[in-house]
Amino acid sequence: MKVKENPTRLDITGTWKGIRMMMPLAVFTIAFGLAFGVAAVHQGVAGWEAMLMSLFVFAAPSQFAALEMWHSPLPLLALAAVTLAIHTRHMLMSAALYPWLKALPQRQQFAMVILLTDSNWAMALGEYQRGERNLGILLGGGIALWGAWVGGTAIGLAFGGGITEPERFGLDVIMLCFLLMIVVGGNPRAAMALPWLAAAASALMAYWWLPPYLHVMVGALTGGVVAVLLPGHWLRESAS
Amino acid sequence: MSSSPVWQSLIAIMLMVAIAYGSRVLGLLIMSRVPLGPRVRLFVDAMSSSVLIAVITPIIVHGDGGVRLAAIAAGTVAVVMRNPLVSIAMGMLSAAGWRWWFT
Repeated sequence: MKVKENPTRLDITGTWKGIRMMMPLAVFTIAFGLAFGVAAVHQGVAGWEAMLMSLFVFAAPSQFAALEMWHSPLPLLALAAVTLAIHTRHMLMSAALYPWLKALPQRQQFAMVILLTDSNWAMALGEYQRGERNLGILLGGGIALWGAWVGGTAIGLAFGGGITEPERFGLDVIMLCFLLMIVVGGNPRAAMALPWLAAAASALMAYWWLPPYLHVMVGALTGGVVAVLLPGHWLRESAS
Repeated sequence: MSSSPVWQSLIAIMLMVAIAYGSRVLGLLIMSRVPLGPRVRLFVDAMSSSVLIAVITPIIVHGDGGVRLAAIAAGTVAVVMRNPLVSIAMGMLSAAGWRWWFT
């Protein structure tokens, strides 16, 4: 028997629910924001630059990756390419939300994805599959994470400068550990071993022999291409 | 230290904002016209994690023992315990410990 679907809604009650549901994770996000602030200080990035990034870019992996490239003069093209490669995944995430969002007028649809990140997307999609139709879950989750991220960054920027020898406390590896955690901590699948290996190897070779920063693009494309080629190859093997 | 001119930083940040928000909106625009195929999904999925791998690898290869130990510790904890905060804490602890003993 098909359960009658509730209509899509967006209101304050749902938004509050989203904020409350995201609170436990937001505590972690404060810590990550703090780590970003500290890393920014020790990478020589100005406080206002880091703050603007957290306020408006609101995407931890791209912000951490940008720190790595924040030298004068800024490699704008490389920075854009890296940001694009990291964010193509958000394109898929918002695409997955389309069936839910399409009830809204287009302007509201676009406004709803401003605060879209991996965590509130995952939470909202999970609730959607359980029958929740209030989009406030998505919005509230985003608001909680954004507040935590911006607040954490501010704390990190304020206190990060007080440490003179960051290496002695292992503060220089925060960025590395964070990116590593995102890659392997999410949902590691054995099938990704080969694409990642190819990405690592090609990135390293590009790092040694190509102009600066191209290695990130080379690695990303190699990983993507290898992943697409793999299953087709396996399919052909098993078919013949 | 960063001595990049203000306008350059502003352009860079605006560029990041445009791309970050643009990709979120683009997904909706594409879906309102054509649904994405599984191969495109696979490519994008692999690419967005490979880009992080590509950033990390040279840091690990050219880093000192502390950096490498931190990578091993953080990676192991991330896979086994699935706890991001513990993962980063263990990485920092490993790096700090290594440098305490060997430098």
